[in-house]
Amino acid sequence: MRIRLLHFVVIAIFIFLAISLINLTVFQGGKFTDLSNKNCIRLISQGGSRGKILDTNGDMIVGSVISYDVVVLPQTRESMAKTFEGLSPILGISTEELWQRFRRGYSEPSVPVAIAKNISLEKAVALEERKLDLDGVVIQSDALRFYPYGSLACHVIGYLSEIDRWRLTKLADYGYKTKDIVGMGGIEEKYDYYLRQEDGGLSVEVDHQGRFSRVLGFRPPQSGKDVQLTLDLRLQKIVETSMEGKNGAAVMMNPHTGEILAMSSFPNFDPSLFVRKNDKSVGYLFADPAAPFFNRAITGQYPPGSVFKPIVAAAGLETGRINLSTSFDCAGSLKVGRREFKCWDTHQNQDLVQAIAHSCDVFFYKTGLAVGPQVLHDYSVRFGLTRPTGIELPYEESGFIPNPIWKKIYKFQKWYDGDTANFSIGQGEVLTTPLQICRMMAVFANHGKLVTPYLVKAIDGQDFSASHRRIVPMHIKDAVINNISKGLREVVSDAKGTANVLANIGLNVAGKTGTSQNPRGLSHGWFTGFAPYEKPKYVICVFLEHGEHGYAAAVVAKKIFELMLQQGLL
Amino acid sequence: MNTTFKILIAALLIAVIGIMSIYSSASRKEGELWETLCQRQIIWVIIGLLAFWFFSNFNYRWLWDWTYFIYGIVIFLLLLVFILGIVRLGAQRWLKLMWFNFQPSETAKLITILFLAKYFSRKSVDDVALKASKFGLWRALILPFIFVGIPMFLIIEQPDLGSGAIVFLIFFIMLYLSNVKLRFIIIFLAILGLLIPLGWNFLRDYQRDRIMVFLNPNIDPLGAGYTVIQSKIAIGSGGFFGKGWLSGTQSQLKFLPESHTDFIFATFSEEWGLLGGVVLMGLYFFIIFQGIRTAQRTRDHYGSLLALGITLMFCIQACVNIAMTMGLAPVVGLPLPLMSYGGSSVLVTFIGLGIVANVSKTRAVF
Repeated sequence: MRIRLLHFVVIAIFIFLAISLINLTVFQGGKFTDLSNKNCIRLISQGGSRGKILDTNGDMIVGSVISYDVVVLPQTRESMAKTFEGLSPILGISTEELWQRFRRGYSEPSVPVAIAKNISLEKAVALEERKLDLDGVVIQSDALRFYPYGSLACHVIGYLSEIDRWRLTKLADYGYKTKDIVGMGGIEEKYDYYLRQEDGGLSVEVDHQGRFSRVLGFRPPQSGKDVQLTLDLRLQKIVETSMEGKNGAAVMMNPHTGEILAMSSFPNFDPSLFVRKNDKSVGYLFADPAAPFFNRAITGQYPPGSVFKPIVAAAGLETGRINLSTSFDCAGSLKVGRREFKCWDTHQNQDLVQAIAHSCDVFFYKTGLAVGPQVLHDYSVRFGLTRPTGIELPYEESGFIPNPIWKKIYKFQKWYDGDTANFSIGQGEVLTTPLQICRMMAVFANHGKLVTPYLVKAIDGQDFSASHRRIVPMHIKDAVINNISKGLREVVSDAKGTANVLANIGLNVAGKTGTSQNPRGLSHGWFTGFAPYEKPKYVICVFLEHGEHGYAAAVVAKKIFELMLQQGLL
Repeated sequence: MNTTFKILIAALLIAVIGIMSIYSSASRKEGELWETLCQRQIIWVIIGLLAFWFFSNFNYRWLWDWTYFIYGIVIFLLLLVFILGIVRLGAQRWLKLMWFNFQPSETAKLITILFLAKYFSRKSVDDVALKASKFGLWRALILPFIFVGIPMFLIIEQPDLGSGAIVFLIFFIMLYLSNVKLRFIIIFLAILGLLIPLGWNFLRDYQRDRIMVFLNPNIDPLGAGYTVIQSKIAIGSGGFFGKGWLSGTQSQLKFLPESHTDFIFATFSEEWGLLGGVVLMGLYFFIIFQGIRTAQRTRDHYGSLLALGITLMFCIQACVNIAMTMGLAPVVGLPLPLMSYGGSSVLVTFIGLGIVANVSKTRAVF
């Protein structure tokens, strides 16, 4: 009897053991597999390098350099002490300091700890040679952004920083993870998907003391694709040297295609500050009231002032309200309604060409009043104002052009003739970005075609300019364009022209200055023009924030053209 | 097919599985010891097979006559361990004999069974029934306990709590099986229950740690709890089919200590998964089942008790070891019979199984 009972007990124990085994292997198998992998598998990431950003000639504007980090696999205390003793003389860091860094970076036994970042190539080679004596030391290569020209074209390019929560929620579906480094602003942000690298890695098996046992797998890192821009480094440099020390923006474009050849905005910043993660200086930049991260060329909206006048002239000529023989007498001011609208000078009798050359306000008050605000608005729209130009940069603003209906709806006010007068000289509610003005000027340079500015020429060697290039004929009579262009040429060539400073530089420039009043301080200075007059190759827009006068902007433009001539770029 | 053959085949299969696991466990470890490990085990298994053949082929009654003599020798060896024993892993358990180390505590387990079987199977002259059911307290409990207690004490002092506990458990089960009055056993258990808190004070620190860790392995994950945690990881990560022979990371990369001795079940399970584990447990159960059947069929009380005692010793060691690797029992230094690396254990187990086979063969004689 007692034997039989014992028999049952034995069977019960075996069943119990079998069930426990099933529980352990099947029901908890996943958990233990993870733990087992964690025990013996270490992942060492190998960063690929982010795609380069090139200029139109294939010269590098932004690249990547490889940095070498020393990574240590956590092991037993004794073998780590031995490792650190070996590392210390090579790295030139005391063992105490190494221990300290290790403790600071340590999270759990399965995660390798970086103890020295960005060591020199010589040290990396030295460590690689002594690898056998140094248990658990891995040299991890990592690509860092490299800016050979410092802050050059920084607004076009943007900078790199750790992904923020807002972007992460947007981009999580595209494989972005927390702590990813992503582009912020400019091409880096817009083309991040192409530029970003895919990190590879090494999975290594280690034994119970964390010593390297063998390599299990290796996925080579994938470098990002190179993005080639339409920017010309030489022009960009010229533009930036000319703009140096001033606040504002300058854009240079090919008037026939819309290729942006140079684009700068001041004050600017040094994107390499983000590479070194110097938080203090970056913090200063963000707090700077001059807003260095603000790309004035596309995000800044300013009243255009007199540079708006070619649109008014085109509207007047096209609608037939004025013609070439129309002339208005400028007595220094015009009374519209009950208000005196001043001209900046007393120009006497002015026809269209003269009025453009001298930037006579009275002529344009009258033209504008003759045409009417709605037509002015419509022509502004035709010249590409009120909407973003569509350049491949984030955060582009659309500018603003008023009209009577808008005023009625949003301001509950009647549109007065005074508003029309202000509108006609690009003041009042009118807001434009420097890029929009540049594009508007291009219409006169290319004989009536509205181009779409674009920046990206090719991605990964594949030419995309055809798909970016969008040129819309404006259907404005050739005569209208030619006559306004003549006026624009007179602006420079006429002895009394507002941009006469550009007259004798060995190049026929046409253009228009503008001085726009604004409530915040000194007037803004504008100059937009193209050169050479006969066969335009470049259209330019210089905007000086609180630059006091359009003359100052013309001086900057002169410097740009002179430098271009010096370097034989014209 | 006769019982001898069945037991032999099953035991040989387990031994082969054991050799494979030892080979795997040692395959990626360097050093002379690891390289020769497998060969030594093979030699021991061969010696064990010879011993099996020898012990299954003479009349086991011979053991009856020599019991006290063998008992004396074992006590002598156990005492010798204290003088000449090799200290390894903090315990003095081994005697060095020529080219191998011998662990007398293994033989002590067997001699306890031999002794108790003889002691309890004495019959009264006029009756076929066992005398034990009529024994008084002194003869049923205290006297045999003194005889068992001497080797047990010596083993525990080595220290080898696991083997000591096994000897004690065997004693208790033999009492039960030899029809000693149930109330004596209950009294015995009651006294024992009262002594447990006292016994705590006699335990060594590491033994206390092991018991605390058994109750909660996460108290000390890198110290005393480490082995159990790693063992559970090894078994669990094996999954259903296992990682494959020679591919167990836990044992090969030394995360699992004692992967070729006490924790060989974890090594095996990691590589062969649930499937292998169940097959192995089936093989153990098969041997135990054969042993119990032999005991049931044998009319000779001495033979029956002998077969039962040996089978249960085998069973307890296997079950406690497997339970221990799965974290279901405290870590005690018990080998998995036939599988764990260790000559003494393999040899003694084969001898024991040989005796069981012997009993099953000769049962017809009486």
